[in-house]
Amino acid sequence: MIRDITIGQYYQADSVVHRLDPRVKLMATLVYIISLFVADSILGYAIATVFLIVSVKLSKVPVSYVLRGLKSLIFILVFSASFIVLFSKGDNMLAKFWIFTISVEGIFNAIEMVFRLMLLLVGSSIMTFTTTPTDIADGLEKAFGPLKKIKVPVHEMSMMISIAFRFIPILIEETDKIMKAQIARGADFETGGIIKKAKGLIPLLVPLIISSIKRALDLATAMEARCYRGGEGRTKMKPLTYKEIDHNAYMILIFYVVIIIGSNMLMNDVLGFSVMKFFV
Amino acid sequence: MSIIKSVNLVHKFSVTDDNDNIIEENSALDGVNIDVAEGQFIAILGHNGSGKSTFARHINALLTPDEGTLYVAGMDTKDESKLWEIRQNAGMVFQNPDNQIIATMVEEDVGFGPENLGVPTKEIWERVDKALSAVGMTEYRHHSPTKLSGGQKQRVAIAGVVAMRPKCIILDEPTAMLDPNGRKEVIKTVHELNKQEKVTVILITHYMNEVIDADKVFVMDKGKVVMEGTPSEVFAHVEELKSLGLDVPQVTEIAYRLNEKGISMGQCVLDIDEFKRKYKNATGHDIKNIGDEPDLNEDKTNKADRKLVLEAKNLKYVYEEGTANEKGALDDVSLDIYEGEFLGIIGHTGSGKSTLIQHLNGLMKADSGEIYFNGENIYDKEFSLPFLRKHVGLVFQYPEHQLFESTVFEDVCFGPKNLGLSKEETTEAAKKALAQVGLNEKYYEKSPFELSGGEKRRVAIAGVLAMNPEVLILDEPTAGLDPKGRDDILNQLKILQKERNIAIVLVSHSMEDVARFADRLVVMNGGKKLYDGGCREVFSHYMELEKIGLAAPQVTYLMADTGKTVMTVEEAVELL
Repeated sequence: MIRDITIGQYYQADSVVHRLDPRVKLMATLVYIISLFVADSILGYAIATVFLIVSVKLSKVPVSYVLRGLKSLIFILVFSASFIVLFSKGDNMLAKFWIFTISVEGIFNAIEMVFRLMLLLVGSSIMTFTTTPTDIADGLEKAFGPLKKIKVPVHEMSMMISIAFRFIPILIEETDKIMKAQIARGADFETGGIIKKAKGLIPLLVPLIISSIKRALDLATAMEARCYRGGEGRTKMKPLTYKEIDHNAYMILIFYVVIIIGSNMLMNDVLGFSVMKFFV
Repeated sequence: MSIIKSVNLVHKFSVTDDNDNIIEENSALDGVNIDVAEGQFIAILGHNGSGKSTFARHINALLTPDEGTLYVAGMDTKDESKLWEIRQNAGMVFQNPDNQIIATMVEEDVGFGPENLGVPTKEIWERVDKALSAVGMTEYRHHSPTKLSGGQKQRVAIAGVVAMRPKCIILDEPTAMLDPNGRKEVIKTVHELNKQEKVTVILITHYMNEVIDADKVFVMDKGKVVMEGTPSEVFAHVEELKSLGLDVPQVTEIAYRLNEKGISMGQCVLDIDEFKRKYKNATGHDIKNIGDEPDLNEDKTNKADRKLVLEAKNLKYVYEEGTANEKGALDDVSLDIYEGEFLGIIGHTGSGKSTLIQHLNGLMKADSGEIYFNGENIYDKEFSLPFLRKHVGLVFQYPEHQLFESTVFEDVCFGPKNLGLSKEETTEAAKKALAQVGLNEKYYEKSPFELSGGEKRRVAIAGVLAMNPEVLILDEPTAGLDPKGRDDILNQLKILQKERNIAIVLVSHSMEDVARFADRLVVMNGGKKLYDGGCREVFSHYMELEKIGLAAPQVTYLMADTGKTVMTVEEAVELL
């Protein structure tokens, strides 16, 4: 059940994408997410999809593994899609009952939104699949390094992120265990109204919080015992330096941005209509 | 030269009330004098709460003395300017493997210490390479720690300390949460470090067989060192150790009892060969030539007159089907559980035993196969799983982690309340269950979180027991407890089985425990059931058990020459 969540977990493989500097991947993810909101045409989505498929292939993460992460979010996708279908108004009404209206535009909007969300989720999970949390944290620390000058605790924040990532799988497993243990004692997490359900979470949350605090204390002791004393005077085992592959990746990224913008201009301005108008 | 020297070390901790007034002051350490020479392998024994962990934290300067002085490599731990040098020289490995690994990749975690010390990048890599190869984890360097076994995680933690180039390593119960194979791995690694790298080792443990190769043993009780000497000097005091809540290796105990019987076995025996030699000297004949008297009891697995409660047929279950991580967890496993029996299930981590027991109360559903409870198929649509869970109680590993109520009594009531029992019935069930795990009224209103580890565990067991199950399954109920805590729980289970006539299913790593308590034994390996039969019968296959990484109790090996399968110390003493 709960173990199926794969988002945020590192998948070990030896690939070009794995070897990229985390800063490149952070930047690429950011750019990609923005591009999904810029690309407003079939052509734009096609380019974004192709770009994503190529990245997944290059990353050597199995497609089934990538998609499994989506599976756990199907509910959110379906929920928001039906919301859009039922509530958006359009010129081409198909059905209307009570407060709901179903229109062609609504359906297209929903499809577009679901598709966009899926690209977004897969796109960002590629980064977490191919970058160890330590690397992500290092990348963030270095990218935001200049902020140290205005007393932003960049090192501490990146350390926190990296530790948070380390404990995600452990806490997921622990939640699973406590849940099962309470079910074995007759607890019911499934049925009942919201209040009953919320109350039913106490036997899960109290042990979970207590054990998290204990883990945090243990970890702090272990870090102190290994001479951790903040970022000052610390060296790096894997200092970040750009290599040729990273420069190339940046070039590809720029190229991608250019064609996304180009496609947008082509579809919207030159041809003068958007996807939806094309179909309606 | 002494590397660690404590002089009248005192550590106090105080209990305060809500207004920060000190209401009680306890000494966790009460005048400890310990002197450790460089290069030695030192073991510190003591039951939970004896002060041994507090002492370990002093060596690493995580705590500082209230009175007395502690010198680490000549530095006073109270001298704050030496703090980091002390921590670098006295590296520490903790009990819980998950809570001390910081990075998400093995090699990065090993590099964490050197990074903190400000070692240049190139040298960090050299140190990491060397440390990983010293603990034999080089091939896992790019792995994520979550995917490693407990023993491997502890070796990574040790490598993380080694990479800091310490003079001394303190290990605070590093094996308490591991299975037997993991334990062996870790102890072997530590011995190698001690011999090859000349690192001083201080091992804190309550597994007696990890101690016999130490140069010197200290036994602690109530914050004091009560015994010290070589292992054979310390283990000669069998009764005294037992009264301290500790234990001795089985051969040592047998030799001690033979001495009492008038067979002179000398002061202390620590291993099987030594035992056999001394036995021959004392009696003039080999162990294999002892007579046939008395006869050992036959296994009591007479199933015919018992009711079949739970019947699992051809269970199959595969984890993460269709992915790279796919692995079979159960492969065609059938298992019968009879009313009122004491069944042991053994197998190492990953053998499928935990998966199996979760099927038995419907927490997991088999891909194929059936389970019948009192003749009814639990996979039938009409069958109520909550009903099954009431009758088949399951106590998970470290069950104290599931406690959540503000008082012991309320926590135990959680199960019966969920079953919809009335208030009176619930109260009665909770009282009965608490009494049967040996907790009296004094405990009812206490918070579960202020109890000791063993007491918490008993509360958790009572929580399941209060649901009045016909079958009680326990997944390693003794994990992490000291010998006394372990024996208390197991004895209590035996009493329960008799008083309530319920079936007890004990999942365990400890062959000694199942040999003492179980009537019937199931051995799991690689998702398959390997053996299912009377204890003695199963242990007669000790050679095969060893091939799959399990073993019989030490006494079984000692007595193997006789052609008999001996399972307990008592039997051996009687035979010899």
